[in-house]
Amino acid sequence: MTKIKILTLALLSTCLMLSAKDYKASLFGVKSDGATLNTRSIQTAIDYISANGGGRLVFYVGRYLTGTIQLKSNVTIQLEEGAILVGTTSVYDYFGIDGVRAIIIADNQENTGITGKGVIEGQGTALVNNIKTQIQKGYIKETPAQASPMLVYMKDCNNVTIEQINMWDACGDIQSYKGCKKININKISIKSNLSAESKGILLSDCDGVTLVDIYFNTSGPELIYDSTSKNVSVVNCRNENGKAVRAK
Amino acid sequence: MGKAKIISLSFLLFFTLSLYAKDYKASDFGAKADGITLNTCSIQKAIDYISENGGGRLVFEAGNYLTGSIYLKSNVTIQLNYGATLLGSTNPFDYIKDKYIGWMSMIFSVKQENIGITGQGTINGRGFITANNMVNYIHRGIYTDPLKLDRPNETNRPQNVYFRECKNVTITDITLKDPASWNQTYDQCKNLYVDNIKVDSKSYWNNDGIDVVDCDGVVIKNSYFDAADDVICFKSHDAMSICQNVVVSNCVGRSSANGLKFGTVSRGGFRNFKVTNLTIYDTFRSAITFAAVDGGIIENIVVDSVRSINTGNVIYLRIGDRWSQGKKPGMNGITISNVYAEVPFTKPDAGYNYEGPVEDLPRNISPASIVGLPEYRIQNVKLKNIEIVYPGAGNPLYAKRGLTPAELDSIPEMRTAYPEFSQFKELPAWGIYIRHADGIELENVTFTALKKDYRPGIVMDDVKGASLKGTKFNEPGSEGKKQIVQYKSENVTIE
Repeated sequence: MTKIKILTLALLSTCLMLSAKDYKASLFGVKSDGATLNTRSIQTAIDYISANGGGRLVFYVGRYLTGTIQLKSNVTIQLEEGAILVGTTSVYDYFGIDGVRAIIIADNQENTGITGKGVIEGQGTALVNNIKTQIQKGYIKETPAQASPMLVYMKDCNNVTIEQINMWDACGDIQSYKGCKKININKISIKSNLSAESKGILLSDCDGVTLVDIYFNTSGPELIYDSTSKNVSVVNCRNENGKAVRAK
Repeated sequence: MGKAKIISLSFLLFFTLSLYAKDYKASDFGAKADGITLNTCSIQKAIDYISENGGGRLVFEAGNYLTGSIYLKSNVTIQLNYGATLLGSTNPFDYIKDKYIGWMSMIFSVKQENIGITGQGTINGRGFITANNMVNYIHRGIYTDPLKLDRPNETNRPQNVYFRECKNVTITDITLKDPASWNQTYDQCKNLYVDNIKVDSKSYWNNDGIDVVDCDGVVIKNSYFDAADDVICFKSHDAMSICQNVVVSNCVGRSSANGLKFGTVSRGGFRNFKVTNLTIYDTFRSAITFAAVDGGIIENIVVDSVRSINTGNVIYLRIGDRWSQGKKPGMNGITISNVYAEVPFTKPDAGYNYEGPVEDLPRNISPASIVGLPEYRIQNVKLKNIEIVYPGAGNPLYAKRGLTPAELDSIPEMRTAYPEFSQFKELPAWGIYIRHADGIELENVTFTALKKDYRPGIVMDDVKGASLKGTKFNEPGSEGKKQIVQYKSENVTIE
């Protein structure tokens, strides 16, 4: 290896270290009590980190209640072991992209992701009850399926990493990626079978998707995509019955 | 009018009223009264739904409803029943700094009509905690603010209520408590009706009682204010607007600043005010301060029946030239009548949270003052049936402003300074000081000093046209003392 190569590598790793700057969630006043709704504090944190060169927003052990948050470029949400990002049970705390609601959304962002051994928990049972009540009273005109937030929805993003996390109890589908390039999802565990048809991963118009070592326990199909998505590879993914989940 | 007409009119009226009076429970939209659940989005949904469906009242039953910023919409009234509290989040990030308004608030409304906040309930901003949380975020570099005077700028702390360009606004019966900044602002609103509200507003700096900015058609009555900053404050932020057609009656207030205040921001001005039955007590600055310092005018103002007890100053009328930008400030046609006032020797707001700043020392007790500028004169002020009791005891060894031309001329004009009654430090009179003014009438005005003061009761400097009828001075040991001193003044008659 030449000197230039070594220098380049050194420079690269410095860059990586710089971009990996960690911010503790508490710096932004985020509370781990499971009762404080942290939506705006987490959003403030994401916006701040994205505007200041990027880095990881790190959640340590605790329950972090939130409504919809928008992930931004060069920001990774790091859920350490025991950290649970909990979706609130009031539908009005959620919003979406083109009417598709989710706890974590990202629209036209790059180099972003969700990592760590923690959990994203949808509180699907309670949330769907709230949604049904509001529909019954006539305050929401959508169907329960239309109004139900996913755990993660990303649109037109580039270079997305979803790693290690546990995804639990969505009130509808779990995660969806539309028009994204370079998605790496690996070692995650999905457990969501509260609603009749909770789909694991939905892809459309995506290019370059790698799914590795994923455990699916979903009431609906594990993986759904069609010919609009290219270069999809699925390696060592299984459902709760041990059945392999494969690429088309 | 025929029977048919009456019947159809009554039906119409009934129909209209019942439309407006449709009630929706906040709990129906999932708002929780537990004081823990942040209800911002549920409350907003409820307001939007009611506004889009013909209007009505959003009713909060007893309990604590935690919220961040919400926007009130047309034809919606927030009804806070007895025991219901809108509890402000203590997280500054739960509040919006509205881009159009430029301030943070819990309840916003912009360009809406037929809106209100009513009922026996409370709006509690918990501003002390929120403001101090904001200080922490600024120190951590998460929020940008210069921390001038070691506090976040007042626009970076939430008010309880900020309504801008709204029409037909009703605020009745509620209690407004502990904002992080001003308490409630009505800015360029038309037809504002405030009745029987209680304000407890001393949780952080700039906690005004009520701010009415460039509004047209205002009634404020039967209300009680306890405020760290100004009690009832009229402002004019817009040089092209004016605050006008205002009635204030039966109000009581105390403050670590002023009682009834015009300004400080006074770009367009103030006209056609009638203020009656005003009680101001335990107030650090003036019971009445009218400031025209930013190019605005003040005209046709009547203030009648005032009790001012334990108040640092009673009347302060001031023209300055601070942010006028070429506009000519003016003050013309002020009548203040039937006033009884007691000015203490000690600090009138001692012991209250966020006490007023001790400043402009050394000075003996400041007199009431009417101070214009040489070219922008205060015109046609009538003071009638007034008694002001001062402590007296002005001691020239502590602070002295004598009566020689050199000493009187040494009083600075302070044209660009922030206007406060104490700004000139020692003034040469103990009762009232008048400068650069025309057409001043004092009728049946009594000045009492409880102890002998080295100064005369009245000093007039550059006063053109004054009439003093039945002016009385009570000062111990003042036999033979000349109580009225004129300097560069003309057409002054004393009866």
